[in-house]
Amino acid sequence: MEGAESLLNPIRLAQSSLVVPVRTKKRLILPPRVKTKYTTPEEQKEKMRASGIVIPHEKLERSITLACTASIFDPYIPPEGDARLSSLSKETLKQRAVQLKQSTISQLAIRKVKQYDPNFSSKTFPEMAQKIFIEAHDCLTNFNKDKLHSLVTERCYPEMVRGNRYKTIRWSFVESLEPPRTVQIRHFTMMNKDNLYGQVTVRMHTRQTVVIYDQFGRLMYGAEDVPKDVLEYVVFERHLVNPYSSWRLHGKIVPSWAPPKDPTY
Amino acid sequence: MLKLNANYDTFLASVNIFPLSNMYTGSSREIIGKWEKKNRVVYPPQLPGEPRRPAVIYHCRREIKYSKDKMWYLATLIKGMSIDQALAQLQFNDKKGAKVIREVLLEAQELAVTKYNVEFKSNLYIAKSLTGKGQYLKKIRYHGRGKFGIMEKVRCHYFVKLVEGPPPPPEPPKTGFDQAKEYVQQLRNRTIINAL
Repeated sequence: MEGAESLLNPIRLAQSSLVVPVRTKKRLILPPRVKTKYTTPEEQKEKMRASGIVIPHEKLERSITLACTASIFDPYIPPEGDARLSSLSKETLKQRAVQLKQSTISQLAIRKVKQYDPNFSSKTFPEMAQKIFIEAHDCLTNFNKDKLHSLVTERCYPEMVRGNRYKTIRWSFVESLEPPRTVQIRHFTMMNKDNLYGQVTVRMHTRQTVVIYDQFGRLMYGAEDVPKDVLEYVVFERHLVNPYSSWRLHGKIVPSWAPPKDPTY
Repeated sequence: MLKLNANYDTFLASVNIFPLSNMYTGSSREIIGKWEKKNRVVYPPQLPGEPRRPAVIYHCRREIKYSKDKMWYLATLIKGMSIDQALAQLQFNDKKGAKVIREVLLEAQELAVTKYNVEFKSNLYIAKSLTGKGQYLKKIRYHGRGKFGIMEKVRCHYFVKLVEGPPPPPEPPKTGFDQAKEYVQQLRNRTIINAL
């Protein structure tokens, strides 16, 4: 008898044959029940317990995978006067660049990253990084969402895409004025000690053109065929523990001494 | 067994255990209407010589508890006015629908400035202003002598189209001279058939 009752469990019945009391005419508001034996959920539970109906307590759990960190940890502070025309301090800049590369934290981070990704090298990485950067922006102009997700982390995606759904963006990469350079490498753990993420900051001095038109085709920002020199510190991230992960664009560091942007129309 | 079934029916209808029972409790307006979809049109970029295309904003409010016929009077009142004039007129109108339409216009103005790249919030005029029938509920109204009437609880939708720019000048009324000109033109348009 108990076995038969469990077979006739209402949830089981509903799931298999979808027995739902359907009304013939769709009504917006159900009229109030006349013969309510119970009104509050506590009373309902007691009635259910008394009648012997057992509802299996389903755990509503959903696993979340964290494929990227929420922000740029330990952001790189670019030195003032970087990429400004100054003939005397060229050597000092070079020295500074060399010093930064050899900074201990970056070295430790490189070692950790190489542990998980033996092909990583701080010399070949900037070229790859620039390619990812160009591809990601091309996907933005074409609104190729699937490819963009693979090139850009989840934290950076809404920053890039918000407000652009109905806008036409035209972006082109003219040339790179200086070869891209890795400037800082850091590694971080989230939640557990084993969950490693690596962040690499790359310095890019490039020439780009950007035009944005709004929903009605009116010019909003930029101008057609007017290349602009841009100095950027772009951060790339990778979930090192995952062997199938790849280096993706994570964010940009805009220095406070950067020149002001053009006005939007 | 029978007792179990009776409990099951009443218990199922009153308790939300599995998501299918949200069929009637959720909002029945999950379908995105045609008016809202009009906002999704993206125009190709304009060439530098072309005149600047005016921004167009479509906004609506659904299932307002008011009659569509009574709302129609307010909708035609503000048709063709600039947004400031419309807001002023509705503010001092005593009807219930005036308050609702005023809220809708303010919402649309906000949207225009933030989302649709409109420069001046006063530089808008109402190009179209319409009402539509919402979903009605039926109730029984009891009369004497065992008679009854079916009472309809009416609801309406309100649609508005705002266009950027100054409001177009109103059409001048037709003068006698215009009518005479038209008459003479009609006479001149006649053709004589079967003649040399």
